[in-house]
Amino acid sequence: MLLPPVIRASFFTQMALAQQVRLANPQPDYVAMQQAHPGGLMCPMDGIAVSFGRETTDFVLRHHELFSSAVDMPLGNVRPLIPLNIDPPKHSKYRKILDPLFSPKRMDEMEPDIAARANKFIDEFVADGECNFSEQFAEQFPSAVFLGLMGMPWDQLEMFLHLRDGILHPEKVDPAAEADFTVRFAVMNATGQEIYTYFNEQLDQREANPADDLLTHFITAEVDGDTMSREEVLDLCYLFLIAGLDTVSDSLTCLFAYLAQHPEQRQLIVDDPRVIPGAVEELLRWETPVPYGVPRVATQDVQLPNGTTLAEGTVVTVSYGGANIDPSEYPDGFDVRFDRDDNRHIAFGGGVHRCLGSHLARRELRIALAEWHRRIPQYGIKPGHEDLQFPLGLRHVKDLTLSWS
Amino acid sequence: MKVRVDDSLCHGHQACAVAAPKVFGADDYGNAVVLIEGDLPADLEAGTRRAQGNCPEHAIIIDE
Repeated sequence: MLLPPVIRASFFTQMALAQQVRLANPQPDYVAMQQAHPGGLMCPMDGIAVSFGRETTDFVLRHHELFSSAVDMPLGNVRPLIPLNIDPPKHSKYRKILDPLFSPKRMDEMEPDIAARANKFIDEFVADGECNFSEQFAEQFPSAVFLGLMGMPWDQLEMFLHLRDGILHPEKVDPAAEADFTVRFAVMNATGQEIYTYFNEQLDQREANPADDLLTHFITAEVDGDTMSREEVLDLCYLFLIAGLDTVSDSLTCLFAYLAQHPEQRQLIVDDPRVIPGAVEELLRWETPVPYGVPRVATQDVQLPNGTTLAEGTVVTVSYGGANIDPSEYPDGFDVRFDRDDNRHIAFGGGVHRCLGSHLARRELRIALAEWHRRIPQYGIKPGHEDLQFPLGLRHVKDLTLSWS
Repeated sequence: MKVRVDDSLCHGHQACAVAAPKVFGADDYGNAVVLIEGDLPADLEAGTRRAQGNCPEHAIIIDE
């Protein structure tokens, strides 16, 4: 199969990384990569670069004019994802519409609804004394929150999860997708068409019956006197479905696996829930559940701060995980401390593309921690399940099984 | 002690609002705003310094 150059580069990047950065405990390997390559920049082959050092990564993120995000990503979509694959100035137009819809103040207003949805899941297994945390909580709770945000009823949860899995976990739809890339892309492309159809119908309904929900806001929002076209709104919805759901699910498994294995730090949360915001930030730094940024392409020959020159067309991937443990930024980066006073983490990325949903994600994580520890303060990894599996992809624990008495 | 935010550097991480929620808030776009005009009360100085230390963009300026 002939793949577009960025996808091919991204594929080779992942292969190189798989050999050199362990999935279960990547932090020491990030530092090893920084020390092994000048400027922390690994170049596995001509035209491909991965930045592990904070200085280079900050430079790439802050110079969108030198590093374009308008790249093809194989996610079943037929048009660029908005706003992820759009460069300024058009990108700024979209963010002007979207940032207020995801602002800290608006997300604060959602907190009671988010807490109610978290408790609905906990209700289902609290009396059992154990749960498959990944499946029964982490994979579902963020999608349930999204339903509320989009103005969709709870009974659409199954549909949402089905559409998400078709893009992000095609092997769940067709086991052959695990090893066969042709099958994998076929499942993703077919699901992509389902996503466009599904949201098209939802948007038709909102046009007929406007409501106070995100889909209606997407249709009616104006910037500089323009509303967005139906295609633009669809491209937004598409990205939200795949970016908004899995990232928080993955983060939840990382955070709870850490807390289950560190009872003394978990006790800090149980004793005083006011430490939760700091705990979430520190665990986002340490775990960095989205370990790498979306690939970017150098728009011209670029000289990096350390003097290295990247040729025009080079596909550059930044490692957020590396930036978040870089010894030049954190002399004691291997210490996990909830009251850290130098936590300049970039777990949500940086620059103009910094995660739009970060304020929502933070509240989901904080509320999950608060409600869980209020109701289940003492728990651990269920005996027999201590060998945690971190599969390929975003950093997450598969089948994290917790038990309590 | 007074504090301000360099709007040209802030990218709306909101790390400052996590570290010092009484001192920093957000505008409609999520970018940082300082909630306290003039001199900060002494009991908010430590949190403000932590906010400065936690800003990924080095956008917080403290005037002693």
